[in-house]
Amino acid sequence: MSSALGIAGCVLLCLAVLAWALRLEKRAVRVRSAILAAAAVLLLAPLGGLPVAAYVRGAIGDPSAATLALAAGALFFRLTGRAAIEPGEARALLWAVVAAALFLYPFALGWTPYDPYALGYASPVFITVLLAATLAAWRAGLKLAVLVVLVGGLAYLAGAYESRNLWDYLIDPLAAIYALGALLAAGARTLVSQRRQRAPVV
Amino acid sequence: MSGRLKWVSLGAIALVFAGLYLRALDAPRPGGFVPPPAAARAGSSKPFYEAQLLPSSTQSVHSATAVELADGRLRAFWYGGTREGAPDVAVYTSVYSPKDGTWSAERAVMTRELAQRQLHRSIRKLGNPVAGRDRGGRLCLFFVSVSVGGWAGSAINLTTSEDEGETWSPPRRLVSSPFFNISTLVKGAPLLLSDGTIGLPAYHEFVGKFGELLRLDADGRVVGKTRMSWGDSSLQPVIVPRSESDAVAFMRYAGDPPGRVLVTRSSDAGEHWSTPEKTALPNPNAAVGGVLLAGGPLLLAFNNAEANRESLDLALSADFGASWRMARSLENESQPQRAPVAEYSYPWVMQDRAGNVHVLYTWGRSRIKHAVFNRAWLEGGR
Repeated sequence: MSSALGIAGCVLLCLAVLAWALRLEKRAVRVRSAILAAAAVLLLAPLGGLPVAAYVRGAIGDPSAATLALAAGALFFRLTGRAAIEPGEARALLWAVVAAALFLYPFALGWTPYDPYALGYASPVFITVLLAATLAAWRAGLKLAVLVVLVGGLAYLAGAYESRNLWDYLIDPLAAIYALGALLAAGARTLVSQRRQRAPVV
Repeated sequence: MSGRLKWVSLGAIALVFAGLYLRALDAPRPGGFVPPPAAARAGSSKPFYEAQLLPSSTQSVHSATAVELADGRLRAFWYGGTREGAPDVAVYTSVYSPKDGTWSAERAVMTRELAQRQLHRSIRKLGNPVAGRDRGGRLCLFFVSVSVGGWAGSAINLTTSEDEGETWSPPRRLVSSPFFNISTLVKGAPLLLSDGTIGLPAYHEFVGKFGELLRLDADGRVVGKTRMSWGDSSLQPVIVPRSESDAVAFMRYAGDPPGRVLVTRSSDAGEHWSTPEKTALPNPNAAVGGVLLAGGPLLLAFNNAEANRESLDLALSADFGASWRMARSLENESQPQRAPVAEYSYPWVMQDRAGNVHVLYTWGRSRIKHAVFNRAWLEGGR
């Protein structure tokens, strides 16, 4: 079961990347659906005894709730031309992912004796901090961030993936890299736009 | 957020977090170590030592491990293929009969193709196996696999056997790292803890090199972990428990010279470990093997040099690793039979129920060698 869910997550992720790479929203609606359907079939087609998506799974593991939410949002936009996620909501999720990643990954790679990844094994302290952050997001009306925590928490309780660590259901390095890249790109765009506005008119 | 949706989502938050808190409250407290029996069978007081090469059909072999079977025989595992990291590398097994002193023909337990098919993900190569038993008496075989890159891209898998190693379950992937679950490997023997869970010494090789103790539940899933060291110079922990709370662990050293075997200690059943320190024993960035002999001293097998793996020696400690005396040499320049490539490494040390000590190690990267001896031989050396 966990393998099927992991492979399904990888299929969703691959479709989102493909839709982005092909700029699918610029094509006819029928063409968009046909391309995604064909890609889904290809990703599930066996290659060397495994679905093609299982090779992606071999490299990246099982996608977290944050990655799935961002991939689903991106895919929805490329498929319909309409944004599924409000920009403010997306930005809040990206900041949350970056903050969590900066806390988790450097320490998890062995730079200090402290290992925040161990908190993911049913630590009441971790759960309380996560609850406080989720309630703050709920109060601020950040539906997407709340949804990511709920989906990740439910999947963890159900043992949907191979991991028994809550961190793995909430974020993963792909979400962290994407969030960091997106925020840096947004910051750069803002900077360029401000400079252009300040430039003297000749 | 609309009013209704807002309250529905708050209810969902309450439900999910109630579940998370229940899971946290339900989590059992980690069990303690299980020390070796106070005394083994007396055995012969006449010194006894035998050594032989295990059967092997592959060009290259490495990283032996073994477990005693219910009938007193020994089942060994190692990985072999055309070269380390080659796609044809498989985990092999062979059984030693103490009665006639022979090893059975080798047989593959896990191939790359089988692991790939049963783990539902691409696998590029297989690596270190380690063997042990779980609370139910099943044989547990942990082995390393890599999907992308070199050994820094490793993950650990577990397969079990209910018939003493004749047949094996489909493997399960252990998740032990948040970073694509890569860079966790095994070398030291798994420990059965007093609560029936398994303590698995593991280590990381991506960016940092450090040791960890993973805790596995009855289903073989990682449910906790403790860092044994940090930084980029310690790996391959071998844990030797003395009591339910006390243990010492030895690690390979990969840092700046002088190369020395590292030691760290725990006095709270592995919940915390002391800062690793260098022992007086040299270490050429190579694995060590150790065991607390029943009712007696601590035995360590190690490469007795700082720069090469050309000698493999045994040292004894009567004060649980504080001081050492050299006991015997298993491999050195004066040995009559030397391997074509003088590398004697990755020792696996264990004591059987009869009191005999077994050391399995890589012999010139081309064979696995098995040495079996008794306490009289070990303590009658230098």
